[in-house]
Amino acid sequence: MLFKLLDKDEFKNLVNILLQSNEVIAPKQVGVNVTGKTLHQYLPVTSFDEIDLTYETTQYSAKTYFLPYKENLSTYRFDEKDWKQEIRYRQEPRVMLGLHACDIHALLKLDKVLARDNFPSPYYIARRKNAFIIGIDHEPCEGGFCRSLGTDTVNNGFDLFLTDLGERYFVSINTDLGYRVLLQVKTKDVTEEDTRKYLLTRKSISDAFQTHVNVQNLPNLLDLEFESKVWNKWGQKCLSCGSCSMVCPTCYCYGVTERVSMDFKSGAKVKQLYSCNLVDFATVAGGHNFRPNRETRLKYRYYHQHRGFVESYDEPKCVGCNRCGRVCLAEINPPDIIRDIQMEER
Amino acid sequence: MRYLSIEPTKPKVAVFDFTSCEGCELQLANKEETLVDFLKAVEIVNFREVSSAKSDDYEIAFIEGAVSRSDEIERLKKIREKARVLVALGCCACYGGVNKLKNAFDLSTANREIYGNYPKDSMPVRAIKDVVPVDMEIPGCPVNKEEIERIIQHLLLDINYNFPVYPVCVECKQKFNVCMFEKGQLCLGPIARAGCSAPCPTGGLGCYGCRGPAADPNYDEFFEIARRRGFAEQEVNERLSFFGGFNGIAMGVQK
Amino acid sequence: MKIPLYHYDIMKEREIQQPVDFNRHRRLKHTDKTFKAEISSITTLTDMEKLFHLRILDEAERERFTFLPGQFVMLEVPGYGEVPISISGSPSNKGLIELCIRKAGTVTGVLHKAKRGALVGIRGPFGTHFPLEKMKGYDILLIAGGLGLAPLRAPIFAVTENRPDYRKVDIMYGTKDPSQLLFDYQYEQWRRIDGVNLHIIVEKADDKWTGDVGLITKLFDKIEIVPHETYAIVCGPPVMFKFVCAYLSKIGVPMDRMFVSLERRMHCGMGKCCRCNIGSTYTCIDGPVFDYWTVMNLKEAI
Ligand SMILES: Cc1cc2nc3c(=O)[nH]c(=O)nc-3n(C[C@H](O)[C@H](O)[C@H](O)COP(=O)(O)OP(=O)(O)OC[C@H]3O[C@@H](n4cnc5c(N)ncnc54)[C@H](O)[C@@H]3O)c2cc1C
Ligand code: SF4
Ligand code: SF4
Ligand code: SF4
Ligand code: SF4
Ligand code: SF4
Ligand code: FES
Repeated sequence: MLFKLLDKDEFKNLVNILLQSNEVIAPKQVGVNVTGKTLHQYLPVTSFDEIDLTYETTQYSAKTYFLPYKENLSTYRFDEKDWKQEIRYRQEPRVMLGLHACDIHALLKLDKVLARDNFPSPYYIARRKNAFIIGIDHEPCEGGFCRSLGTDTVNNGFDLFLTDLGERYFVSINTDLGYRVLLQVKTKDVTEEDTRKYLLTRKSISDAFQTHVNVQNLPNLLDLEFESKVWNKWGQKCLSCGSCSMVCPTCYCYGVTERVSMDFKSGAKVKQLYSCNLVDFATVAGGHNFRPNRETRLKYRYYHQHRGFVESYDEPKCVGCNRCGRVCLAEINPPDIIRDIQMEER
Repeated sequence: MRYLSIEPTKPKVAVFDFTSCEGCELQLANKEETLVDFLKAVEIVNFREVSSAKSDDYEIAFIEGAVSRSDEIERLKKIREKARVLVALGCCACYGGVNKLKNAFDLSTANREIYGNYPKDSMPVRAIKDVVPVDMEIPGCPVNKEEIERIIQHLLLDINYNFPVYPVCVECKQKFNVCMFEKGQLCLGPIARAGCSAPCPTGGLGCYGCRGPAADPNYDEFFEIARRRGFAEQEVNERLSFFGGFNGIAMGVQK
Repeated sequence: MKIPLYHYDIMKEREIQQPVDFNRHRRLKHTDKTFKAEISSITTLTDMEKLFHLRILDEAERERFTFLPGQFVMLEVPGYGEVPISISGSPSNKGLIELCIRKAGTVTGVLHKAKRGALVGIRGPFGTHFPLEKMKGYDILLIAGGLGLAPLRAPIFAVTENRPDYRKVDIMYGTKDPSQLLFDYQYEQWRRIDGVNLHIIVEKADDKWTGDVGLITKLFDKIEIVPHETYAIVCGPPVMFKFVCAYLSKIGVPMDRMFVSLERRMHCGMGKCCRCNIGSTYTCIDGPVFDYWTVMNLKEAI
């Protein structure tokens, strides 16, 4: 990896250049909640001033730019006795600016399922390869436990990564494209002093983590505690509303429905992201539901995050951003659940 | 449908209004882009909003509105006899809708208050299914035209239509909304059935549950959340009874 | 100044330009491209089930479509939906795909309305298959309950078409009542094959029924099983295969020589939608065919 220094003014220039000819997605403040906390979302921006890189976290993750909530897998033209199927993949590049490490890790995890395993998804790959990703370091967000999962720092999966050193950014360059893009503005070489400052900043960020979750032996524990009362306790609270999965940066499951136009001349096969907490996730024709209870569904979500994924890819699916915990009206959150599971074992 | 070697049929459709605002009927005649095709797919034989034709020969009857007068019962029973498929259209027809609010008042007092010294023939408001058997219920206030179109497409083939069973939160989240609770407002989204694409929270108003309850709603926890966030029982209960879909459900009442 | 962010066009990838072949799991492909197929014939089996013969229109695609007994396809009715259906026909009958479909909901409902000549879409084949190679030289039990005969018909074809490879073959089939018996026109043919025994039982007889009455496990009284020389394939609802496998296990047939086909909700067939997931297992990739030992070890499997 190459490193450079970028003055903040030059960074602004860079963003403006990027904005001239590309769609740019960046964190934007969208309001405040009742307690006065600012709320942010990754949204398309048209000027540098709309961007707020000091954001703590976003409510929604960046995944929706790679896995949209709704997407046409194919469309149909019906012509009397025949039909024609059409499939289109994204071709337009897009800048994803200001992603935190957890969101980049989430993409790396999604890559494992959607780009590298059986039946790689051309829809995902096309979006992924058309994304120019600029990450940024930040103070830990409230309740985030990414450090416990090793997703608080990231070494690949981005083009450029920024660490704020006050007047300037310390830039890690991970791709040739990132290097070439950076050539458009003035950068400085990194001195020993800068490196020292960078390491200090990194250390102070790591030290600031408040939330720790013990994930040691978790896959095994989940298996042993399959019948645990913990699920009953938390399951009773679950509203089966799916909000957790909607905001989760790594939840990718979906349902497919099809539709025809009213003139019966066209149709579409539509993919819509789903959640294993929703009541009919595992219902089959005839009405049998393989997971009829809230607690089995909630348990399953944790299984996929912390056990199933580990079995397939040797790491949990969860990146510890705690978005699901924050959004849950019933206050169901991974740190508490995992703590309960660990306690059960003692 | 010719690609399936099925010759499309053109079912005869009638639309009748009972006690309602006619908003759902208007929805049927709405959405100009597709209205012509919609009217091509079916043969409308009785529908005040779009034509003056009046025929008693129909297969599918859409009933809008609730039943609130005794003459309406007779009329409904006649329609039921003629229709092969009877569809309750909209919240009022499915649950009684806003009209049902009046059941909470003493009827004669309400009558006097509204109609003064000339009381009208009135009785407790009833949903269509409480009077005659219903083949399909399309909830919503008003109904969602896109959904109606899809249902018509399914009725043409005589196959069932699967309504979403999950709560409004799913569709609300898919619109990137900030949760109404975050903004300090009440919302029935977590217990209300989706399918509307969450226009209310998207527009800054908490959900009133016009499509009735989601499948297996977690009322206990919902009330707990409302309590924790400082909403009074009365406010929650008024919200629950607004459209009549949560009949018999109330916060603070032991089951 | 313009930054050279390039347009990545996935269509330029060499892999995706190759013809779509779902048997090549790892290759980048148009995952949602369907093979257009014509319903070339429809046979009514009962009030609820019909047998559809499908022929893929494109000759090259038809040539590429090969499957093994136990695998399934995703069958799409454009505009109405896509459903997983086991292939019910013979693997050796190239170009003809037989699907036995029960009217159960939206998509299957449309299919039951469709007429000969209808154009539908197929993706697949997907999933695991019955290990007919390993079963060679053994006694074979082929057991179906209800609609289970649809998936079981593929191994029945495979075994009867390669008769010398297998020893004694017993086909056991049970339904609720005689009106639900599928493929009754084929029984005579199966019965006449040397060394193949067909046993049929119904739970409730009607006026005309003269055969056995009872649960499918009752048929075991009639069959001689040499436990260590036997492989079994069991297709049917979970309650049925649970009892059948428990019986077989009790008499000493190893659990990893019994094979069942599991049903789950499916929206992709490719390990992506998670709907078919059992614990950490994807029914569409690791199944639908599992040996019973694996099923016993799957949490929430039955
Ligand atoms: C591996 C496998 C093999 C199968 N083989 C056969 C067969 O040979 N013959 C047969 O008649 N049926 C078979 N089924 C069951 C068949 O897939 C369902 O009956 C069918 O999906 C119902 O779809 P529907 O649209 O008619 O019903 P609806 O209830 O309207 O379902 C709507 C949607 O839900 C999903 N869904 C509902 N039930 C199921 C289900 N059981 N499995 C998967 N997805 C479901 C589908 O996406 C479907 O489009 C099989 C299922 C699996 C998993
Ligand atoms: S865990 Fe929370 S957010 Fe997720 S479905 Fe349950 S109630 Fe909704
Ligand atoms: S955890 Fe549940 S919601 Fe998330 S991807 Fe897995 S199945 Fe889907
Ligand atoms: S499960 Fe929760 S904490 Fe883990 S990645 Fe998803 S949203 Fe973040
Ligand atoms: S605003 Fe209402 S519908 Fe939307 S997420 Fe919040 S509770 Fe659910
Ligand atoms: S958000 Fe609630 S009240 Fe509004 S349309 Fe949807 S179900 Fe009805
Ligand atoms: S059917 Fe989608 S993961 Fe198995």
